Amino acid sequence: MSKKIGVYICRCGCNISDYVDVEKVRASAEKEADVVLAKTMVFACADSSQKEIINDIQNGVINSFVIASCSPKLHLPTFQAVAERAGLNKYEYVHANIREQASWAHSDDKEGATAKAVQLVRAAIAKVRFATAIEPIEIQTQQAVLVIGAGVAGMKAATSLAKMGVKVYLIEKEHFIGGRVAQWDVLCLTEETGKDLVTRFYNDVVMDKDITLFTGAELIESSGSKGNFKVKIKITPRYIKDFCEKEKMRRAIEVCPVEVIDDFNFSITKRKAIYHNFPSQYPLVAVIDMKNCTRCGKCEKECDKIDFSQKEKIIEIDVGSILVATGFDPYTPRKGEFGYEEYDNVITLPQFKRLVAINDKELKWNGRQVKTIAYIYCVGSRQLEGENKYCSRYCCSTTICAAIKAGEKFHDLSHFHFTRGIRTYGKQEMFFYEASKQGQVFLQSFEDEPPRVMRKNDRTIVCINDILTNRREIEVDADLVVLVTGMVPRSHGRISEILKLPRGRDRFFNEIHMKLRPVETVIDGVTIAGACQGPQNVVEAINSALSAAIKSYSFVSRDTLQVEPIVAEIDAGLCTWCGACAKACPFDAVTQINLEGKEIASVNMTVCKGCGMCLPVCPVNAIQLKTFSDDEVEKMIGVLAQEL
Amino acid sequence: MSSPDLKFGKKLVKYGAVDFNACYNCGTCTAVCALSNEEESFPREMVRFSVLGLSEDVKGSLKPWLCYYCGECSTHCPQLAQPGELMMSLRRYLISCYDWTGLSGLLYRNLSAYIAAFLFIAIGIFGLFFSGIWNQAEWMHYGHLFEIMAIASVFTVILLPNIIRMWYATVWKQTKKLHIKTYFLSLPELFIHMFTQKRTLSCNDEMSNKIWWFEHFIVVIGYMGLLFTTVVLDWFAATNILIIVLGYFLSAVVFIVSFHFIFNRMRKKTEKSSFSHPSDWFFVIWLLLMGLSACAVRLLIDLGLLSAYFWLYLLHLTILVQWALVIVPFGKWTHFLYRSFAMYFDKIVKDTANTAVRTV
Repeated sequence: MSKKIGVYICRCGCNISDYVDVEKVRASAEKEADVVLAKTMVFACADSSQKEIINDIQNGVINSFVIASCSPKLHLPTFQAVAERAGLNKYEYVHANIREQASWAHSDDKEGATAKAVQLVRAAIAKVRFATAIEPIEIQTQQAVLVIGAGVAGMKAATSLAKMGVKVYLIEKEHFIGGRVAQWDVLCLTEETGKDLVTRFYNDVVMDKDITLFTGAELIESSGSKGNFKVKIKITPRYIKDFCEKEKMRRAIEVCPVEVIDDFNFSITKRKAIYHNFPSQYPLVAVIDMKNCTRCGKCEKECDKIDFSQKEKIIEIDVGSILVATGFDPYTPRKGEFGYEEYDNVITLPQFKRLVAINDKELKWNGRQVKTIAYIYCVGSRQLEGENKYCSRYCCSTTICAAIKAGEKFHDLSHFHFTRGIRTYGKQEMFFYEASKQGQVFLQSFEDEPPRVMRKNDRTIVCINDILTNRREIEVDADLVVLVTGMVPRSHGRISEILKLPRGRDRFFNEIHMKLRPVETVIDGVTIAGACQGPQNVVEAINSALSAAIKSYSFVSRDTLQVEPIVAEIDAGLCTWCGACAKACPFDAVTQINLEGKEIASVNMTVCKGCGMCLPVCPVNAIQLKTFSDDEVEKMIGVLAQEL
Repeated sequence: MSSPDLKFGKKLVKYGAVDFNACYNCGTCTAVCALSNEEESFPREMVRFSVLGLSEDVKGSLKPWLCYYCGECSTHCPQLAQPGELMMSLRRYLISCYDWTGLSGLLYRNLSAYIAAFLFIAIGIFGLFFSGIWNQAEWMHYGHLFEIMAIASVFTVILLPNIIRMWYATVWKQTKKLHIKTYFLSLPELFIHMFTQKRTLSCNDEMSNKIWWFEHFIVVIGYMGLLFTTVVLDWFAATNILIIVLGYFLSAVVFIVSFHFIFNRMRKKTEKSSFSHPSDWFFVIWLLLMGLSACAVRLLIDLGLLSAYFWLYLLHLTILVQWALVIVPFGKWTHFLYRSFAMYFDKIVKDTANTAVRTV
């Protein structure tokens, strides 16, 4: 069938036609071979224009077409839909961008802009001559989702997915659920404690028969692509059988002679080698930390459920999508940063929050009563020098909240906040108001003049040139100095490597677009939620979890998934397998296969993104990218390079 | 190097300060204040000093006196931190700082002390009367004598030393220089502000402000005139018709205007009248009672009924003594002196600084 090409040139109101002589472009396009029709339009995207194009196609005037208008980012899908509605294949249409690339870029040179537009349109015509109908790739989907991380975001995402009728595998690296929120006694904006919240979420998870929860479980391998991932999970046993009596468990913990630093309390306390973080934390069975256990056997005498014969397991599951909610780590200050690890009464915000939670009647640190507390803000965040340029967003609010709640629990505390400007955004502003009104003092400095922590006569002094008091040097004799540490990405183990998740400049996982595609990653089928993608508070983490759940659901909601067919193709005849393409592929889409006795490369069409990285590295030119074949691109370059 | 003192803010609350801790230092108050300028910027700075408890800075500052409480700052404060009322409270605090006896502070902080002092005086006078040591004529005579004595002694023993203390804290400690010429040349400031309070008119252009200024102006003149008429011209014993009529007129001015002030404080329609410390109530109520009772006593004299209603004279005397021994030396009355001296001292501080710059 011979090509009958239609060319539609958009004026974009006057966005294009003010600088590009569209008539000239039309006249030049008309002269091209195979072009049977060339029109200008005021707005090609307008309903009436779309109908006109459809009519031209349905009346058999044209069987492929070029739109010369704005960026394809804006309207490619619009005109692809036009093609499909008219009964054409969407790949039988080619787009030329003469707004961003001609009229806007060269508004100072109308002739040049017109000449460039002419060339761009001719190049598009050269490409459309090759256009053929291509069908999208179909994938059989697994109706299950893997959720990594059983913190608030992970648990909320899991229950949300299960409600939509999807099987969910929820894995947690630790032996107890709840993540960071389980460690918080006080939460802003709610009277519910962190413990209460994770317990509530856990109940929702275990009540749902479609969710399978694995604790002590880590992702160790993943293959496949959206709709159909095969993942391997390593499960570390608890070394204690289920249904253990509470009293026996308590005694077993009591007799354990090993004491190690308790990470749950951010190392301000010790725990045993057999432990639970707090008695009511789920799952209720304690766990034996085999790294520190000496196998002395004392606990076995107290509790018959202890079972050292349990073995590590590796399980394989198939899922259609993976939702990553691995959370954050609090920033650990350097030794000497604001006196950290130098003076014994300098601690971090998470430690302070645990300290307030575990103290009952009096607030004591190192056996001494605490009356005056100095909070130093933006430690490890908004760094002038250093990696963490970002604001951790939650710290201002959580510190002020913690200070208010500490004041309610222990009386006569004096709070001094050494800030760089308070950012209690949204409803959290009320806490700032409340704290100020109570007489908590807020001092402020610029980033180049941070507060100083020093020792004077065995007392810890925090000193600041307060910009709210004419840069006056104000010093506070503090019983406890709390470094308000921000969030850093969790040391995830190998998750980002295994899933090939890219990280942003802040080293958190990167979404595709902060506003438009906030929970999707460049790896199709993998979504992210919660603080693993950047500092978030509980509310924001849950919102993003619900959003990610919906996105993950979209990958598994139907039996099959369609994928863009613009992928690399291997010419089996030419390929001699050297592996260069596999190395160049950023998505691990190329694998080595044996085809009738010959080793060749094979592209996993569902993983390939059509980026074209493999094409130039092939020494025998055995790879072609669909719709961007050498012939097409060379012809386009040929046209563009032609002198007019 | 300064250390914050959170007790200071708690103390200020007793002087009438409300919610100033809510301040988040946006500076709106300072921006909207018509009297604040780049050289002397307030009230935010004073709010900040109060939050941090930098009491030495407050004591050495004249800024609280430069504010005439139009209330614009409180109206516009986004945090409802009532900067205007804080400035008012700082003035009360400063009055107690200047007072060497410490009684001002005691009375400001404790309503019960105020009431006890008033009761003590009332019981003293009526007790003395019922003991019968003096007859009515003697009471009238000694009453007049008391007025003269009280004015002289309160001024020399209490107020003069206090003004010197104020000078020491706000001028000497700040400048450490003594240019006699400057002191002399700045003198007009003292009297202009003492008798006109013209600075009030710069607060804003609103009619209510002008009316308020006018009322305050005539009550000051009326009060001074009444004082002169009763003490120097001996109104109660006067026979000259002019003096008698003048006395009626002035006492009427005093009680009518002070009645309006009380009415305003009860309505709480303006920022200035929305918060009233007990000392404010005592001041306006006693002013009213004084004018009213003086007027009534003279009326009884003119009607020849005084001996029949002598208790009314005793009531008037009680009010007078309470006024002269409590409100004048230790209460709100002193703002009359400190405000005008503050303007005077402020000019001295500025001129001294300017002279220093010139000599350098």
